[in-house]
Amino acid sequence: MFVSIVSYGLALGAVYALIGITYNVMFAASRVFSFTAGTVGMLGGVFGALFIDRLGMPVALGFLLTLAAGAGLGIITEILTVRPVLKSLEQHLYVLSTLAFALILQQLTAIEWSTEPQPFPRLLPFGPGLFDQQFWLPLLACALTIVGLEWLYRRTLVGRAFLAISEDNYAARALGLPEQRLRIASYALAGVIGTLAGFTGGEMMLAYFGNGPLLNFYGFVPVALGGMGSNRGAVAGGLALGLFQQTANFLVGGIFASVAIFVVFIIVLLVRPEGFAGSAPARRV
Amino acid sequence: MNDSATLPLAVAPKRKLGGLEALVPTALLAAVGALLPWLGDSYLGVIATRACIYWVLVSGLNLVVGFAGQIAIGWVALLTLGAYVTSVLTAGTVLPEISAYLALLIAAAVGAVFGVIIGLPALRLRTFYFAMTTLGFATIVTQVALAWKSVTGGGVGVPGPVLAWPFASPWGFYYFCLGLAVLCTWMTSNIAASRFGRSLVAIRDAEVAAEAVGISKPALLVTVFLFSGAVAAIAGGLFASLQSYITPDAFTFDLSVLFFIAILIGGRGSILGPLLGTIILTALPEFAAPLVAWSTFLYAVLLLVIVLAVPGGIADLLDFKNRRPLERHREIRPRPELLAQILPPPAQPSHIKLANLSLSFGGVRAIDAVDLEIRTGEVHGLIGPNGSGKTTTLNVISGYYVPQQGQVRLNEEMLSPRPASARASRRIARTFQTPRLVGAASVLENVMIGATTAGRASFVESLLALPRQRRDEEQAYDAAMAALTAVGLDQLAFVRADRLQHSELRFVEIARALVLRPYFLLLDEPAAGLSVDEIKRLGTLIVTISRQGTGVLLVEHHADLIFDICDRVTVLNLGKVLASGTPAEIRGHREVINAYLGA
Amino acid sequence: MPTSAPDPLLQITGLSTGYGKIGVLHGIDLTVGPGELVALLGPNGAGKSTLLRAISGLLPRTGRVRFAGKDLSAASPRDMVGAGLVHVVEGHRVFTHLSVFDNLLLAGYGMPRRERESQVEEALAFFPEIAAKRNDRAVTLSGGQQQMLAVAQGLVRQPRLLMLDEPSAGLSPVLVDRVLTAAGRLRDGGTAVLLVEQLIEKALRIADRVYALVRGSIVLEAAGNEPDLPTRLEQAYFGHSLRPPS
Repeated sequence: MFVSIVSYGLALGAVYALIGITYNVMFAASRVFSFTAGTVGMLGGVFGALFIDRLGMPVALGFLLTLAAGAGLGIITEILTVRPVLKSLEQHLYVLSTLAFALILQQLTAIEWSTEPQPFPRLLPFGPGLFDQQFWLPLLACALTIVGLEWLYRRTLVGRAFLAISEDNYAARALGLPEQRLRIASYALAGVIGTLAGFTGGEMMLAYFGNGPLLNFYGFVPVALGGMGSNRGAVAGGLALGLFQQTANFLVGGIFASVAIFVVFIIVLLVRPEGFAGSAPARRV
Repeated sequence: MNDSATLPLAVAPKRKLGGLEALVPTALLAAVGALLPWLGDSYLGVIATRACIYWVLVSGLNLVVGFAGQIAIGWVALLTLGAYVTSVLTAGTVLPEISAYLALLIAAAVGAVFGVIIGLPALRLRTFYFAMTTLGFATIVTQVALAWKSVTGGGVGVPGPVLAWPFASPWGFYYFCLGLAVLCTWMTSNIAASRFGRSLVAIRDAEVAAEAVGISKPALLVTVFLFSGAVAAIAGGLFASLQSYITPDAFTFDLSVLFFIAILIGGRGSILGPLLGTIILTALPEFAAPLVAWSTFLYAVLLLVIVLAVPGGIADLLDFKNRRPLERHREIRPRPELLAQILPPPAQPSHIKLANLSLSFGGVRAIDAVDLEIRTGEVHGLIGPNGSGKTTTLNVISGYYVPQQGQVRLNEEMLSPRPASARASRRIARTFQTPRLVGAASVLENVMIGATTAGRASFVESLLALPRQRRDEEQAYDAAMAALTAVGLDQLAFVRADRLQHSELRFVEIARALVLRPYFLLLDEPAAGLSVDEIKRLGTLIVTISRQGTGVLLVEHHADLIFDICDRVTVLNLGKVLASGTPAEIRGHREVINAYLGA
Repeated sequence: MPTSAPDPLLQITGLSTGYGKIGVLHGIDLTVGPGELVALLGPNGAGKSTLLRAISGLLPRTGRVRFAGKDLSAASPRDMVGAGLVHVVEGHRVFTHLSVFDNLLLAGYGMPRRERESQVEEALAFFPEIAAKRNDRAVTLSGGQQQMLAVAQGLVRQPRLLMLDEPSAGLSPVLVDRVLTAAGRLRDGGTAVLLVEQLIEKALRIADRVYALVRGSIVLEAAGNEPDLPTRLEQAYFGHSLRPPS
């Protein structure tokens, strides 16, 4: 039982953490949060099932196509719902435009795919076991993402350019950095990370349109707790959330576990609105 | 406390604000709604009843989302709460059975309390975070309904309340809901046309300026959450009755989205827009789409289109009077002679004294041991190169920053640094470096915001349009019109503020400050962006204001303006006072010249 | 009469711009010749920084901008950098979380790798003090060092015209001299410099020509070595001489 709690907890936590990183990457590029992060995660599972089960593609191809779809969705998010709003004077509208787009994607999935959860294919040809692939795949994905992002930001010039536009967009523009292109690339990257989360978590969570709002919320909790923009905080927060959720599930049952999570989330935010690793907001006047 | 009524001024014809215009939504709904049973069948009646119920909730949520600008997406939590409270109380399973009407009232009380609980994070959290917490609440409530089987019946559910005769029949019930819907329309229209409505919009679009005129965001938001929560819970009870049987999965995220989108499609800051939006969105699935999923899809597409193309929603499309072109070469011609009627008679000579004020940001000393005295009846100029601490000083006086050292005294009494919203009642008014106004509101409404602290009517009195509220409105209207005439902008009173030129906006800010009838007026670079003529007229206006007895602190870059109208000048450099004296003394001061020339 | 080179490197005609509804610049005409150091002076709020932002494309503008013979009136900052005009913004805004070396590499984003690395080394050579800190994160640098880093960033592309916006702001007198001497050296080396400055005396020491911008318009244009310039500038700033009649 204990092993089951830990396995599910860490694995789901890894999925949540990856969605949190998706939020963070989008935020770093544009300084806004997008409701599409969790939706993209959900689509990772749906596309995976679509390509591999329904269309019969080999796993590797289905995987790559899913990630490509994620990149595409990220780019559409930026062009359609973020850029036009940031240009206008009413910046808060980004909450609404990204919400609208997330709902559109979700409803399309419900209509075209199914309103019921559908099974997700077995990815690797090993049988079920105690520490099964549905558990270590998300964890592996999470680890690889973190390592990959570190490499990107430390070792490549593009990655450092991402950091630059995230820290000081104005100075980056003045320096001649292709700020628009870099932002689109960031969103594409975020899309890839999101679908990666959904794909590797597919067997656990099934291919279900309702995962969208679920991941939107549970993927946001690590960001809120770990501090806006902190990927390490998101990982720590995500894993902690996953473990807490499974433990609470076991102890008091699914419903009270959700309630417990929400209550803790709201209380932490009220006490420390900037999260544990975040910094206080800037001057207003 | 208001002085005797102002003398009649030769101004644009006095239009009753609100008045007839505000009654349109109520009248429309009442007329169409009353006629409906003659026109349609019982199926139409069900849809209409549902629309009325939704509108009862949305009318309250409109104040939160459309007026106050809080992104409360998860308000369906209150619908759920109201539905269950009413149903359980009337079912008699937990407590002795009570009448449905009493149950609705109790649900309203519960809803009010929970409205505040759900809404309160808005005061602490940024937009996206707050939206997420409301979604969290929506889910918690549904989960609790699922889990608390003994009370709510869990997944099996409970029967909804049944209203007693004459409202038990479908059409009877329809009339009950219609009546409540009309009542809510009327009440929220009253709020919209009151200082509460204007204050809500002010905290949405010009929060910093709202503080300066004395609007307290926490108090206002709590009031609005109480009302919206109560009204939403009542809608929940009615909803349960309409459904006749409720289970937790009747309260979906889709429903929450519907309410929210109805307001945005309708247009923020409007009553008629969201009313039409609610009706459209309720009717849409019945006629347009077979699947529930398609209707939410359509709502989402509509929302995206609105956000990208017509952020002002239906209300914007219906705003014909703001399509009329404005005169191109407009001049601002203040009439300083009218100021005598607006400003209080010369008070006891009083002063604001800054003593040894210091404040650092990060490691940088923004102001360092600053001493300054502003006297009533005087214009005191505050000048200095960029970064010298002028605006910081002004922000400390107006209560936005807390000094780390030193004090601000009003007549020998210490002015406590926070909150900035307390300054208005001390008759200290200010303007801002960049005009902070509500672009979507008319010029007159913007200036009337200055009269907020003079209002006496409570929220409930405004809700019910009681006489004291009407008196408040008239006084605010008169005061604002008088101020606008004095600054020379009365011809533009009913124009949307965002259509005005920059220089006109600066004078609107001054008019707004004048409505406070201030003893002290703090002006932050009012001449920036003004033409030479406008600066001259601004100067005359400022001098007249001070001759009426107001003490003016003028932070400026324009050397000419400063030397022409100031009685005293203080020069700051790198946060410290470099020199202080009459303009003549400052003009020849070698160090001052050097500071500006950077030698 | 000041003479400018027959083909100015930078020629601005009728430039106007502002922020939202606020018009800040009204029909500016300005030229910078190749290898010239032109100082742009003026009181606070005159629009000097705004003018540089309009030239480099950070702000939308109306009017004509000709650089190195090409019409770049619609150019973005990226296009300008590519054409050889680099703008070092005010406030020594460097990327604090990145190292000195990375900051300079980013300034050469898009260049071929070898060229970029060798030009970064050249830029560092200009400022040996920060060369010693090449692997340190920019946040560990003092204000003056960050300013030098910002100027060094401007040099990586070996621009034909370098625009410096108040490089002396917030620096101690010693550092101010260092930075302005560096600007002079650049001019001696053939790079044209458009320098916005608050410190009149120091700017006049190194400038070939001078413009004074007051309330969004050019009110004075002169050679840097004209004798009565300081008095004329004072008059231009304050509209009339400040000294009381003696």
